Amino acid sequence: MRNSGNPPRSPFFKRGGRAAVLGVCLVATMATSLARADTPYVFNPPKGFPIPKVPDDNPITLEKIALGRFLFYDTRLSGNQTQSCSSCHQQDKGFTDGLPNAVGSTGQMHPRGAMSLTNVAYATVLGWANPLLTSLEKQTLVPMFGETPVELGLAGMEEELLNRMHNDARYERLFAEAFPNDSDAISLGNLVKAIASFDRTLISGNTPYDRYTQGLDDYAISDSAFNGGRLFFSERLECFHCHGGFAFTASVTSQGNPFDETSFTNNGLYNIDGKGGYPLNNTGLFAFTQVPSDMGAFKAPTLRNWKFTAPYMHDGSIADIEGVIDHYAAGGRTISTGPFAGDGSKNPFKSNFIRGFTLTDEERQDFLNFLLSLNDDELVHNPRHSNPFNAWRCPGDCGYDGEVTIDEILSAVGISDGAANLALCVAADRSGDGDVTIDELLAAVNSALNGCASPAAVAP
Amino acid sequence: MRRFFLVVFIAAMLWCGAIWFGRSVLATTGIDAAGQCIGDANRDGAVTVDEVYGAINNALDDCSLMPITLQFSGNVGEQTFTCGSIYHGVGTTGADIVPSDFRFYVHNVRLIRDDGVEVSVLLDQDGIWQYQNVALLDFEDKTQPCNNCTKQMNATVRGKIAPGTYNGVRFTLGVPFRLNHADQSVAPPPLNLTGLFWSWQDGYKFIRIDTAFDNLRVHVGSTGCYYVRPNVIGGCAHPNRGEIYLPAFNPANDTIVADLAVLLSDSDINSNQPDTPPGCMADPNDSDCDPIMRNLGVDFANGLPAAGPQKFFRVVSPTPVP
Repeated sequence: MRNSGNPPRSPFFKRGGRAAVLGVCLVATMATSLARADTPYVFNPPKGFPIPKVPDDNPITLEKIALGRFLFYDTRLSGNQTQSCSSCHQQDKGFTDGLPNAVGSTGQMHPRGAMSLTNVAYATVLGWANPLLTSLEKQTLVPMFGETPVELGLAGMEEELLNRMHNDARYERLFAEAFPNDSDAISLGNLVKAIASFDRTLISGNTPYDRYTQGLDDYAISDSAFNGGRLFFSERLECFHCHGGFAFTASVTSQGNPFDETSFTNNGLYNIDGKGGYPLNNTGLFAFTQVPSDMGAFKAPTLRNWKFTAPYMHDGSIADIEGVIDHYAAGGRTISTGPFAGDGSKNPFKSNFIRGFTLTDEERQDFLNFLLSLNDDELVHNPRHSNPFNAWRCPGDCGYDGEVTIDEILSAVGISDGAANLALCVAADRSGDGDVTIDELLAAVNSALNGCASPAAVAP
Repeated sequence: MRRFFLVVFIAAMLWCGAIWFGRSVLATTGIDAAGQCIGDANRDGAVTVDEVYGAINNALDDCSLMPITLQFSGNVGEQTFTCGSIYHGVGTTGADIVPSDFRFYVHNVRLIRDDGVEVSVLLDQDGIWQYQNVALLDFEDKTQPCNNCTKQMNATVRGKIAPGTYNGVRFTLGVPFRLNHADQSVAPPPLNLTGLFWSWQDGYKFIRIDTAFDNLRVHVGSTGCYYVRPNVIGGCAHPNRGEIYLPAFNPANDTIVADLAVLLSDSDINSNQPDTPPGCMADPNDSDCDPIMRNLGVDFANGLPAAGPQKFFRVVSPTPVP
């Protein structure tokens, strides 16, 4: 309910009437069963996008997503409580960290860079080259408990981790809501399921490219970008083989697709010994399969939102998009000196789609303009994906649309008397104590009547 | 005589029940997980009255198995391992080490009967250290510097075995294949210890040895694992499970000693192959693994049980009292 100017205020909200209103709501909601069900989440992907697959043993619900969002941003999920998932997957950087190599909670450097989480719900395999991580649930265990390198540094600390969750009233409630059939909902399995559920909502497809190709806006991309797209999808540049499809990466699947395709590609970054060698700590698929021809094969990451995710390649060894274009134009990278010296273009395991090409200045500009059309500013600004520990500027605004409706106030009332799930309106619980108090209800009512703080008025 | 009547009575009840409820009811529950007829002891596809009697006897008598406890000890040389102790003269250079973790899984524990037959030990399902046929041996108590560990310790494998005279032991080091690739996030103890997760290889660390200060580690599990169907691991290029055979072992008195000094006896503690993890993480490119894996009874080249004998485990008998 947007209030402009000085709207006539309903007596409904006058001081003194509030307690009566709350009383009525309380009675009404007490009539409902105390055993609340969880709420199935319905994917509403952008036009042209399929529905993601979800594991049978982890159906996605609003409650899991809300819980997973807190967990994703919670530094209690690292051993020394300095890092969370979001430390390396920052929203404003397209859920990467801007570093060539990620740095873990104890300061140890990862051999590879943090991957973008853009559209990770569709990924058939997670990580740069690990064919075994076929679900987000499995993948989540690696940064939590992995030790070579240490990322979140929780190995051996499962008991303390769960104690930290138990010591937080909001988690007690959110876990119980997300896993209503479990007698002790705070468990490692449930924690992982919740984070994976949140990850699956990071869907991004509101780009100029999408608006153009879906027929929503014929002028969403320039003629130059259009011509660049023809280059991108041409047999001359061959980009689309590895960065094709709606996700601009090959290793994706979705509901109704019986084929969970995965592909790993050597793109000629290294050729240390002239026999295709890669640095020992970054041998790609080979590290898992031990098949010699898998040396240096990595997953082609999505090109969507690349603007936010520099530097590029698995080891962050190319600083910017111009460097990436140069790399593929040359058909591989030549390193002339140092321990990694070698002509990557002659790597025997390199994909035969990477043959090199030449572009005129105009073509190169067109190509760059096409790539620019693959960026989605909505993902990096969507408050539903943002850090929930930073109080939303609009108390009681369950839907994060910047205004508080009567329905949202009723949700907050339901939460306060235990009839509704907190997960449905975490924005109403300003104090983070897992409950909505009278004061918090009044703050929500105030938002409804007087509008929310403007985005500029609160710290980001 | 009373027992005989009881057996006959139960058999009669079963028989009547079968007739009463109809064969179809029994047929839906008559096959075990391996696809065999339940109660068909000799696997001939038919359940005889003798087999039913045998099963009833077992139900009444717990199979007449005898309890058995196998005693283990975690050592560094002749000394018993404790967290925080310094041990001298380890490895090819005679280095000092301060181990900070000492745990490993064993499974498929068998004793060798005096007639040469291997008889399985059925592990007690204690909900802590033993699950199905796998057990965790744990010699650390979480005191400094064993920080990533558990307070609880376990130096025994407990179970039941058919009565007999046993004079040898066999077991496999590691987690069995079918449990190694199950969902860790909901795994039961002792497979729920995150310090032993090896999630990037979709499995467990079969053995975990850490040392403080010099950062030497031995983390060995299966590598090169691959899917044959979605979420179904079909096998591993390097299983890395050592087959341990200790021919002279009296389960009543002897102790199975796992010795870190022997495990590391052919390694240079103070050097590490560049660009590989410190110590041995079972990486096929890491030559530091070669002597360690051999001492665990694993052929480093293919991850299969080694042709030569393992050295990590030995049997120690009590000194006779004069």
